[in-house]
Amino acid sequence: MTKLVEKRTVDMEIIGDWVEPNTRVLDLGCGPGVLLDYLVQTKKVSAVGVDLELAKITSCVRRGLAAYQGDMTEFMRAFPDKHFDRVICSRTVHELGDPTAVITEALRVGRALTVGFVNHGFWKNRVDMLLRGRKLRNPVYTTEWFESRPANPVTIADFEHFCATKEIRIARRAHLAGDWHSPCRALPNLFAGYALYDLAR
Amino acid sequence: MTDDIDTLPAAPTAETTPRHLAPGEVGLVSPRDFVHAQPFSFRSGQTISGFQLRYETYGTLNATRDNAVLICHALSGDHHCAGWHTPTDKKPGWWNNLIGPGKAVDTRRFFVVCANVLGGCQGSTGPSSSNPETGRPYGILFPFVTIGDMVRAQKLLLDHLGVVELHGVIGGSMGGMLALRFATDYPRLTRRVLGMATTGRESAQAIAFNEVGRQAIMQDPAWNRGDYTKDAGPRVGLAIARMMAHITYVSDASMDRKFGRRKKDTANGDAYTFDVQFEVEGYLRHQGQSFINRFDANSYLYITRALDQFDLAHAHGTLEQAFAAVEAETLIVGFTSDWLFPPEQNRQLALALLRAGKRASYAELSTDLGHDSFLLESEELYGLVRGWIERDQPYVFDYAI
Repeated sequence: MTKLVEKRTVDMEIIGDWVEPNTRVLDLGCGPGVLLDYLVQTKKVSAVGVDLELAKITSCVRRGLAAYQGDMTEFMRAFPDKHFDRVICSRTVHELGDPTAVITEALRVGRALTVGFVNHGFWKNRVDMLLRGRKLRNPVYTTEWFESRPANPVTIADFEHFCATKEIRIARRAHLAGDWHSPCRALPNLFAGYALYDLAR
Repeated sequence: MTDDIDTLPAAPTAETTPRHLAPGEVGLVSPRDFVHAQPFSFRSGQTISGFQLRYETYGTLNATRDNAVLICHALSGDHHCAGWHTPTDKKPGWWNNLIGPGKAVDTRRFFVVCANVLGGCQGSTGPSSSNPETGRPYGILFPFVTIGDMVRAQKLLLDHLGVVELHGVIGGSMGGMLALRFATDYPRLTRRVLGMATTGRESAQAIAFNEVGRQAIMQDPAWNRGDYTKDAGPRVGLAIARMMAHITYVSDASMDRKFGRRKKDTANGDAYTFDVQFEVEGYLRHQGQSFINRFDANSYLYITRALDQFDLAHAHGTLEQAFAAVEAETLIVGFTSDWLFPPEQNRQLALALLRAGKRASYAELSTDLGHDSFLLESEELYGLVRGWIERDQPYVFDYAI
């Protein structure tokens, strides 16, 4: 049998660093369960993921992860306050129909919330739009507009504004450069390709 | 459960190899009887001096006695869930598509056990069995049966078979209720639970359908307060109960696809008759008739009552408390077109397990086949069952970033 190898990414590492061992974690938009599997293996968390697609749930079940097929907001409404130690919303936030509802619910059912997203304010994205005048397409966003799910491109400045408006406390932030690898130290809304936020009420 | 989930036609190359001899099938199987010769007390407080369960097994119990997978049948199902009893059988067991060598429930790895429930009529002790005190069938003198009683009786069978750990319990509909009760009542025994198209308690609508079925039986004069001989009894009432129940197992869309408004050839174009005109009518009558030849009306009353009474939350205060002792990893599967035990009721089970801090998953299949969708021949469903029953070896993470 061939070994099933999964590549750990920098955002996974940071998300993992913010997770306390042996805690209860909820992953919104868990996909095939790679991140949760990583957290279970490295932090011994009690994990559950939510996703809309059956194939993703099947993948999680195959990995021995708990996963729930359905709407994430409805899922969270079924839980009491602070049921989870941490909720994670990684690479999902731009596709949410009602981001305020999801983040508000996540901060209710979770003691902390990790949000990770692609920064659409990254200079290359700005230049791309300016020069090509077309929907952003790159190794991350590979599809044409007509074959893409509805998306709500968000920038670091947008997200920080959102947190200020909703009085959400930003406990930690991590900005990665365009390579999603090395840290971005200055002018993140312009120079960061990827952003991670650790939020609380 | 319907009688006619279409089985795959024999493979075209199988002319020389009958299907029961084909590779990938459990082949010819024989039921066996487990006799428990000691008194058994029901939840109701009533007692019988002993009971018998008819069951089948496929595969082999391993040396550590922990590779057993228990299959729990639905209301009208039985112990014959895979293989063929004789080479001339028209159909294999009711879940043959799921169970067999190399199938989702792989009999090369697992020791599969399926028993007819206590209170049933396919060889297990029930109201049609002889009452040792009178020498006549129990009829309605048979103790009231609960899902918990059925589970307790099957646990005695597992003890008899030497099973020390259940790798998994699988059940659809009522079978899912049994599977859940295994998890709550025998947490140390039950490692995995898979409940499909099931519920923690029936809705008013499901109870209502059961009640109409019971009334059809009890209002038939031949029911005679449950006192009838084997070949007599409320055949009309039971057939009507079955016809109606059958409608609840399928869906508007699937019936429309199967029958539409097509008319029987025998209808002669005469619209002014109450004889069978539409194909769906003939089909339902056939369903009713084939059911009375294999099912006992009193068993139907007892088992539907057990279904109605089943209420995990009520028995423990809340569903979360009911699940407090559960150690099993649970997978609940709902089907979008199931209007008898709809997805919402399935979802509630998974959510309550999660609230109770248990490892539980919920998956939902889009089908238009209604409640009986759990018997679906679907690679998606098989993939899910395979993942639940024998997960991948752990993924290895490459920590070099």
